[in-house]
Amino acid sequence: MKRSTSRQSQAGAYKTGPFVLKISSDPAHLAPTRVAIERLCTDGGFNAESAAAIGLAVNEAVANVIRHAYGGAPGKPIELCVRFDNEGVTIELRDWGNGTNPCDLAPPPPNPLKPGGLGLLCMRQMMDSLVFTPQPDGMLLVMKKRKSSASAA
Amino acid sequence: MTMSEMNTDTDLVPNARQQGDAVLATVRGEIDLHNSPELRGALIELLDKARPKKLILNLSQVPYMDSSAIAVLVEMLQKLRKTGGKLCLTNLQPRVKSLLEIARLDSIFVLAKTDEEALAK
Repeated sequence: MKRSTSRQSQAGAYKTGPFVLKISSDPAHLAPTRVAIERLCTDGGFNAESAAAIGLAVNEAVANVIRHAYGGAPGKPIELCVRFDNEGVTIELRDWGNGTNPCDLAPPPPNPLKPGGLGLLCMRQMMDSLVFTPQPDGMLLVMKKRKSSASAA
Repeated sequence: MTMSEMNTDTDLVPNARQQGDAVLATVRGEIDLHNSPELRGALIELLDKARPKKLILNLSQVPYMDSSAIAVLVEMLQKLRKTGGKLCLTNLQPRVKSLLEIARLDSIFVLAKTDEEALAK
C-alpha cells in the first residue's frame, strides 16, 4: 500500500513538477530551453498552440535577461521553475543580474517600426499574467497561463 | 530579365539570387537571439552587394522566429525604404505570421503567398 501511494505520489509529481531548469546566459541555450518548456506544457495538458505560445514567452523572457539584466555577459546563472496545477502553469524565472525590469524599458506607446519592447509585448500577449518582483540580488519574474482559455487542450 | 545567383556565408540563407531589380533569398531555420545577428549580417551583405529595389525573403523553411529576428527584418525594411525599396515576406508559417500580427507588422511588410506573387507586387 505504501509503495502504491509512493508511486502515485511520484506520478503526481511528474505531472505537476516543480521542474527546474538551470542554464547560463548564453543565447545558444534559448532554443533548447524553449523546446523543453513546450514539451513540458504539452505533457502538462496544453495543446500545441498554447505550448508554442508559452515557449515564445519564455524565449523572450530569457532573452531579456541575457540582453538587459546581464548586459550580454555569458556564463551568468538563470533558473526556471515550472509548476502545473489544475488551473494551468506557473513559470518562475530568476536571474541574479542588475535588477532591470523590462516594464521600465518598454517604450510607450509601441511603434511597430521601433521593435524595442516587442519581447515584453509578446510575453504579455502569450501569458495571462506577468509579475516582476525585484530581489536584493536580481529579479524574479512569475508568469502564468491558464488552461481554461479557448486555446487550452 | 537578368538573373544571377548570389552567395552568402551562412546556412541561414542557403540560396539567393538577383532577378531584375529584386533579390530573392531563402531563409532557413529557427531564428532567435542566438543566430539573428548572423541573419542580419547575411541580409546586409545582400543589400550592399545588389542594392535591390525589392528584397523578397522566402520564409517557408522558418518555423519559428522571436523578437530579435523581427528586429532584423524591421532594420532591413528601414534600409530599403531609404532608397524607396520594399521588403516582401513569402510563404509564412503560422507561428511566424502570428508573431508579425502581434508586432503589428503584418500590414507594414509586403506579405505574399509565393515568390512570384511578391515579384509582381
